[in-house]
Amino acid sequence: MSLSQTPSSSSVNERKTSWTFQARNPVSLRLYKVLGTTFDDEATRESLATLSELYAKSVTAKGKETQRIDTEEDGDDETSAKVDGPFFVEGVPGESAARARKNLRRDMEMKLTEGSQHFLKVLSEVDEKLVALQTHVAAMRTSCDEAEKQLQLTDEASKSLLERAGNLREERQEVEVKKSIVSLFLSRFTLNEEETEAMVSRDVPVGKRFFDAMDKTERIREDCRVLMAGEEGPTKAGLDIMTSTSSHLEQSYEKIFRWCSHEFLQIGRDSQLEVSVTMREAVRRLRKRPELLTEALTSLSQTRQNTLQTSFLNALTRGGPSGLPRPIELHAHDPMRYIGDMLAWVHQAIAAEREFLEGLFGLKSDRRMVGSVRAFGEKPSEEEEWIRELMDLAVGRLCVPMKIRVQQTIKSQESSITSYRIVNLLQFYLHTMQNTIGKDAILSKALEELTEMAYKSFYDSIEAQCRGLLRAGLELDDSSVTPPIPILDHAQVLREIMSVYQSSILEDASTSDQIAGFRKIADVMVNPAVEMCIISAEEKKKVRHKWDMEVFVLNCLTYLLSVLEPFDFTSEAQKSIQGILDTRVEQLTDDHYHNIMVDAGLDEVATTCEKHDNSEPLSHIPSTEPSQLQIALGNFSQWLSGPEVVHSTRLSSLSLQRLHNKIHHTALTRMAKAYEMICEQVRRKENRYEAASTLLGSERPFGQVALLWQIFGLREDGL
Amino acid sequence: MPFNDYETDATELLETYDFLMKYIVIGEAGTGKSCLLHHFTHNSFKDHSQHTIGVEFSSRTIRLGEKRIKLQLWDTAGQERFRSVTRSYYRGAAGAILVYDITKLSLIASSFPSSRESFQKLSRWLADARALASSHLVVVLVGNKSDREEEREVEWAEASRWAAENDVHFLEASSLTGDNVEAPFMLAARSILLSIESGALDPEKAGSGVSYGDRALRRVNSSSRLSFGSLSRGQRRPVKLKVKNWVPGSQCC
Repeated sequence: MSLSQTPSSSSVNERKTSWTFQARNPVSLRLYKVLGTTFDDEATRESLATLSELYAKSVTAKGKETQRIDTEEDGDDETSAKVDGPFFVEGVPGESAARARKNLRRDMEMKLTEGSQHFLKVLSEVDEKLVALQTHVAAMRTSCDEAEKQLQLTDEASKSLLERAGNLREERQEVEVKKSIVSLFLSRFTLNEEETEAMVSRDVPVGKRFFDAMDKTERIREDCRVLMAGEEGPTKAGLDIMTSTSSHLEQSYEKIFRWCSHEFLQIGRDSQLEVSVTMREAVRRLRKRPELLTEALTSLSQTRQNTLQTSFLNALTRGGPSGLPRPIELHAHDPMRYIGDMLAWVHQAIAAEREFLEGLFGLKSDRRMVGSVRAFGEKPSEEEEWIRELMDLAVGRLCVPMKIRVQQTIKSQESSITSYRIVNLLQFYLHTMQNTIGKDAILSKALEELTEMAYKSFYDSIEAQCRGLLRAGLELDDSSVTPPIPILDHAQVLREIMSVYQSSILEDASTSDQIAGFRKIADVMVNPAVEMCIISAEEKKKVRHKWDMEVFVLNCLTYLLSVLEPFDFTSEAQKSIQGILDTRVEQLTDDHYHNIMVDAGLDEVATTCEKHDNSEPLSHIPSTEPSQLQIALGNFSQWLSGPEVVHSTRLSSLSLQRLHNKIHHTALTRMAKAYEMICEQVRRKENRYEAASTLLGSERPFGQVALLWQIFGLREDGL
Repeated sequence: MPFNDYETDATELLETYDFLMKYIVIGEAGTGKSCLLHHFTHNSFKDHSQHTIGVEFSSRTIRLGEKRIKLQLWDTAGQERFRSVTRSYYRGAAGAILVYDITKLSLIASSFPSSRESFQKLSRWLADARALASSHLVVVLVGNKSDREEEREVEWAEASRWAAENDVHFLEASSLTGDNVEAPFMLAARSILLSIESGALDPEKAGSGVSYGDRALRRVNSSSRLSFGSLSRGQRRPVKLKVKNWVPGSQCC
């Protein structure tokens, strides 16, 4: 500190001396001011520190250089010595400070010079560098100029490029838009590869994928049609699409067709049928190509026909496995069972077939029961027509084996009853089939034919029977008047046939239908029997006069009537027999009346009285002379006390008691009336009987008609 | 529907099935065979039903466990005069539903009832069916018109005894209310399936009254043996029939 203070105080001192020269007067004032100045401020301190440093440096580090400078400065050895001095040893404290005080200016100047020289040297170097730099810069500039020129050129060139690029970008965007439109269009209006493959390739099975592709194609065509219907008319693209899709569609229909044909061949061989969803769908689609469907169905029909026929023949001849159920033909000896089994088999086959076809055409079953009446509407649906045709063909094939067997069975029947049973069975199935598969079906026609044939066979058989009946005639030596055995047999057959007919009548059939249905049988069977009775009885009568033909005929007729009576549908035949019977009864009544009149002896008298024409008095006619009359009345009286009055021996042979009574009573009534008439005639004056009352009163019933009625047990009014 | 313990889906149009079975419905006239069948296939009572003429056909697919079974049902006329016709339809039936009317004893019993032949007419039907149908014929006796309890003439126990003696299943049903209407058909189907499972019945053979459907055939093709796993499971979880009508000692289950 002291060191630093010392130089500063010395410098101040120097300055003070100089200032003393400059301003003498204000010197003191100035001096004071100077003295009063403190050098404790920052700047002073710093300069002092710099100085101190400088000298310290010259002592420690810069001694050598100081020396060199010293040598350069001629004549100033002392200074240099002094400078050197402290370098080595500072013998006395403050020695360097003192030296510094002395040499400060020189030192400074030296320092300055040194510095300047250094500056110069350095700057010259800098100058050199700068010159080099300038060259470089110039070169650079040229280069830059060139580069700029190039850049400008490039810029110009790239401008058009950019422009083009811009255009291109725009174009690209446009194209992108177009592309997306086109791809949308394509995806909407064309089939992708997979779909085409699905439709066309054989490797892709008919199934969902295939149908989806078809659906799409259809949709495309539909859309396309809508598009082309626009104002611009058909476009080329539209036409192309239509062409390609149409070809695909055709191929797909072909494919369905092939598939269906193949499947049909497969399932057609099974006896049990089942329709898969795919198949139903395939058939549904194929319906748009009727010619293909027809072809496929034709082959199906063929297979079904063969299959059904085979299984029918198997059922007929082989039966089930290990013979159970037994083959139908095993029962050929039992015609009803044989034919019934055959037709039932066919019926069941129809039910299965129908279900299969309904499934195939996706027809919702109306749950109508097969066998119950099917309404054949005016216009059946297309499917219904298909089904009917296929059914008809499939079942039709069965007709041949069935027909042959049924025909044989019909022909081999001897019993007319069985024949008639067959007729009814066939008719039942004819009815069932007509309701199930229609009147025009082959099977219905075949059954119709068979029914007709069975009818013919049946009629032939009963007609033959009737001819036999007529030929048989009556046993001449048989005096009985009951119906003969041939008639009884015939009636038995008739009875059975009637009960078969009865059982075949449908519940809702009207009475007139019932009658009409039986008319022919009645004509064939009843009338000849009646005829036979009458004719052969007359024949017999010619040979055996005593034989009571009338009673016999009546007995036969009442018997036949009794056979018919339980059956309402025979009312016509009953009526006609009743008619004949009534006539016959009347005849017999006449006959019987005549007989009893003869027996009673009144016949001649009564006849004469009746014929009397008043030309001459009755008493003058020989047969009614009083004496004759007397005898006749006497006979009558006797007859009245006989058993014939209540019971006729002859009429007791009538099998029907009612008829006996009726005839006898009618005859008695007439007898009473005849007696009354005789009495009246006798009492008439014109007939000139003397004592007429006496004549009549001599014998019972004494001319009293009322008494006669009493004896007969009848009343006058005939009741 | 009072009886819906089975999963049934009668409305489905297209039905694939595992088995096809032929059933006949038999019994005296007026016992309600057609009505029973009608209720089974249509799920409704058939009003003003006429006598059946000859035979009528209907079908329905039922589900039993995992099996779908198509039933071909032949409804026969009960009247005597159709007997010769209807008998031809017994041929090759796998199941028979023998129906009687619980309110009319006279329809099944002979006129002079003795203990042995109390159900003589039923016996005749049964004998006919056994003689003419498949040798494995499964018969279910159904006492119909169970809704008319107050007019009952045939006791449940009596019929049940007869059924047990004759080795047939038995239950009572009402085709009016639909009560138990499906049960006989299910019961028969189940019984038939069991005999297929046991190997007694072979659907491959014609005349058994049963045949495989498409569905079963597909399954057969994929695995060599036809599995009845579903049925066996069904045994553990028995089908809920109306058990009060169960015949003790009958062969099913």
